[in-house]
Amino acid sequence: MDRDDATGPIVQLRRRLSAGAEQIFDLWTKPDLMVRWLSPFPGAVDCKASCDLRPGGAFSLVMTSADSSREVSGTYVQIDRPRKLVFTWIGPLTNHVTTLVTVELIPIGDQTEIVLTHERLPTPAMHEGHTKGWGHILDHLADAVSNDT
Amino acid sequence: MQIAMIDIAARKDAASPTVRLDAVFAALADPTRRAIIERLSRSDARVTDIAEPFPMSLNAVSKHIRVLEASGVVERRRQGRDHILSINPSSLDEIDGWIEGMRRFWEQRLDAMERLLHEIKTDHKSGPKDRKHGSR
Repeated sequence: MDRDDATGPIVQLRRRLSAGAEQIFDLWTKPDLMVRWLSPFPGAVDCKASCDLRPGGAFSLVMTSADSSREVSGTYVQIDRPRKLVFTWIGPLTNHVTTLVTVELIPIGDQTEIVLTHERLPTPAMHEGHTKGWGHILDHLADAVSNDT
Repeated sequence: MQIAMIDIAARKDAASPTVRLDAVFAALADPTRRAIIERLSRSDARVTDIAEPFPMSLNAVSKHIRVLEASGVVERRRQGRDHILSINPSSLDEIDGWIEGMRRFWEQRLDAMERLLHEIKTDHKSGPKDRKHGSR
């Protein structure tokens, strides 16, 4: 377990990138840039991205090769350019279970540290039992979703 | 402490790996339960031994142990009058597998992001008018 206390098992990666936070933020949120690095399939894959960049807005990535097609989608929870981006993520990799991705960008000189956290969202059972640590995220999510309707 | 026992217990019987994984994640979402697992990862132990270091009633600890059992992470066997708890390693292997898969995915994506950043920088140096639409 990478992080303790408030949450269960998560995946967290940190990396220094030689670019500004704003440029990196754009790579995550502009469809024409998203398609250039988010597709995991090598070779001739047609990747289409669309996004509605506001809390509660949806994004999708559709990757099509000669013999298969995969889709990843999600909903933006928090958008704080260029510091933080939080969105849900559902796709084949997550077994089509809703997960949560948080991207934090911390400027360090002319570099930027990216901290990427990927976690499973609590199930209803978890939510009833222990909201600590998850509560504010779920509140955000609830706000985001209700703004949408 | 209110724990949604019934829901978690129902999940244990479900065959789907996704549902099972949900139950394991739910079980691990609590610091007391993670501390219990940490203790059991060193050796099997009696319920009373497990409960001792925690600043809560035996009853409260027992509830956490039942959540862990329901998720399949912890197993209980009888030895005379004692109830011995142990970890079921295969339940944690599934979590490791999930985390490993995610980590690999994002490592590769961040590699691709770095390559793209480098590409954009190189393009920029060679002059925007040469490469209006990126570098394909």
